[in-house]
Amino acid sequence: MNNKFSKAVIKRLISSLITLFLLISLLFILIRISPGNPTQKFISPELSPEIAKKVAEDFNLNDPLPEQYVSFVTNLIRGDLGISYNYRMPVIFVVWEFLSFTLVIAAISFLVQIIASYYLAVYSVQKQNKTTDRLISNLSLIFYSTPSFVIGVILIYLFAVQIDLFPTSGFVSLDYDSLNFFEKILDKIHHLILPLITLSITGIALFYRYLRDNLEDIYQQTFIMQLRANGLNENTILRKHVIPNAIGPLISVAGIELGILLSGTLITEVIFSLPGMGRLTIDSILTRDYPLIIGCTFAAGLLMILTNFFADLLKLKIDKRLLRGNVI
Amino acid sequence: MKFKLKIWQLISALWLLIILLQFNRLIELAVLWIKYFLLCFNDFGVAISLLDFKLLDSLLALIFFIVIPLLLISYRRRIKFLNYKLNFSNGVIIILLITFLMAPIITSENPDFQKNLSVTKHLTPLSKVKVLHLKIEDNYESTLLNKFLIYKREIIREVFDESIIYADSMGEMAPDKIIYYQKNIMKELPVEKLIENNGIPLITTKTFLLGTDEFGRNIFTRLVYSLRISLLVGTGAVLISFLLGITMGFIAGYKGGLIDTVFNRFAELFLAFPVIYLVVLILALFSSSLIAVVIILGISGWMSLFKIVRGEVASLKQKDYIQTAKLLGIKTNRILFKEILPVIIAPVIVNLIFQFSNVILAESALSYLGLGAGDSYPSWGAMIQSGQEYITKAWWMIIFPGGCLVVTLFTANYFGRRINKFFNPRLDK
Repeated sequence: MNNKFSKAVIKRLISSLITLFLLISLLFILIRISPGNPTQKFISPELSPEIAKKVAEDFNLNDPLPEQYVSFVTNLIRGDLGISYNYRMPVIFVVWEFLSFTLVIAAISFLVQIIASYYLAVYSVQKQNKTTDRLISNLSLIFYSTPSFVIGVILIYLFAVQIDLFPTSGFVSLDYDSLNFFEKILDKIHHLILPLITLSITGIALFYRYLRDNLEDIYQQTFIMQLRANGLNENTILRKHVIPNAIGPLISVAGIELGILLSGTLITEVIFSLPGMGRLTIDSILTRDYPLIIGCTFAAGLLMILTNFFADLLKLKIDKRLLRGNVI
Repeated sequence: MKFKLKIWQLISALWLLIILLQFNRLIELAVLWIKYFLLCFNDFGVAISLLDFKLLDSLLALIFFIVIPLLLISYRRRIKFLNYKLNFSNGVIIILLITFLMAPIITSENPDFQKNLSVTKHLTPLSKVKVLHLKIEDNYESTLLNKFLIYKREIIREVFDESIIYADSMGEMAPDKIIYYQKNIMKELPVEKLIENNGIPLITTKTFLLGTDEFGRNIFTRLVYSLRISLLVGTGAVLISFLLGITMGFIAGYKGGLIDTVFNRFAELFLAFPVIYLVVLILALFSSSLIAVVIILGISGWMSLFKIVRGEVASLKQKDYIQTAKLLGIKTNRILFKEILPVIIAPVIVNLIFQFSNVILAESALSYLGLGAGDSYPSWGAMIQSGQEYITKAWWMIIFPGGCLVVTLFTANYFGRRINKFFNPRLDK
């Protein structure tokens, strides 16, 4: 069993590595076939010609294509992504600084999504086909099809402009430095409430739909009838038998949801002008900071590959059937 | 409710509404048609060279307006959906399609038209302004061509129009001059400069149904035209995804082996990537134009279709009737199109509808981020973005485009779910 498990893990590790390799190749091809000289994508036009020449040599930009490719791959693997034009720092430090914020907010939002959708789904399946259930169901479809930026802007209009309850944008107040420790935390929470709602609402709707459909599916099955015939009360059936069966398929949805979440943070950070990787990406594009653009894209791809890998491992851990079959 | 509305009732109501509200516009377009027709007989070469997109659009809109009801009436027994029950998604789809086809009839303005910013900036919905119509001095010969050109200029509005002035209110009447106010500044104009109608200078009132934006552009007109952009981008991108997904899925599923593995790996790569980052990267490296947006969104959406087609083809390949067809010597293309495609069409259609809503969402998100088709076309996302800057004083700049977007996406999702239930009745418990 253990042997099988480690085999499956290694298999997924190799497949993730191949995907990573393909991602790097895709980036290289995209940079090469895009119009314009590739040197200008690594060297700021403001640099003096001598330094530009030196950077070009450092990045092997004058070598033939295959060697450039090799050095591109090795540079990326070593984490050397060049120097950002705007920040005048190695790209990897800039990305890391902004990435941490995105990771934190994405993780909080993920938790919020799971908890809220879980309770909503369980509540609405208990009230099956009653008005509240229908209301929540229809609302979830509406929220699912509402773009996050529309939700964000409407939230700003309602809660920041009409009733001055939350700030419209930013991460900290102007007088942040004069606050004590608890006030600092409160200030940050105060700033993060609207972005978190914006980021989570689509995910809540998505999870809710899946979970509710799953729960309903399981309620239709015969073993539930049998349990009822045995005289178990509804609460025990729900907690002991329905929910454990419904949670399993949710993990693969969670893997997909992480991709949506990452795109969602991009837009949410732009709406509320928060210091995260999404806004960094957009800013770097609008200012044509090519090393930073490539760095951000690479980081996002890497993050996705990693999370998918761990989601796969989790699935393996929970669903032992996957070990038996040859299913990837 | 006992009385259920049918789809044909909605369509006829919409037609009546257009005739009632835009009767003048219809007449104008008809006259334009006749003039163009005469010009065609007179000088065919010039007429063809004049035919640009806007003219064609206006001419076609009138044809659609006349031909579609005739077709529907003459084939009313064959077309079953006319007698379907009307519900929210059906109704919205029909309204969207009619708006898409007949934008020039529904609104007579150019979406980028701006004039007298001091008067028209940030007007609330349903606000009224006065319009002064000036005489256009034309010293041209009165040939058929010039007459047509002058008339066309009146009907198909350009971005600039010298012949009208917007004013907040009119001052007292003087015998030889007109007094009007623009933001409390009094201005005057000699009477003879205005077009006269029965001896009275022609001054009309114009209502901005949904208000104006920061450049004094009519939001209603912009909404109508950005609907076209959204639907066009959606259709184009879905078509590209469809072609890519179907071909690659067929090849991978039918051939199997190395090609299958390679394609599958590619699909995994694209799936494992937050697509918006990829799209943003490509738009940054290449130029961002409408065509580029369509192509990129199309390319970034083929994976789910590929997975469906590949899986279905791989399992169908083992079936007896496909094996028999193969042994009979039927060509591979024919097997794919005649035997396999009809079987897999249901999940493909459902997937395409969801894909359509995803693409519209992505396009609006891109234009919200300032990476879409640019300022050359009105777009709901871009309208919301510009509205966010004026969020404290102009709520209508956000609510209306946002509402349009939500309604469109909701309809697409809802319609997709219904189609899914229709194809898989087991889901409908």
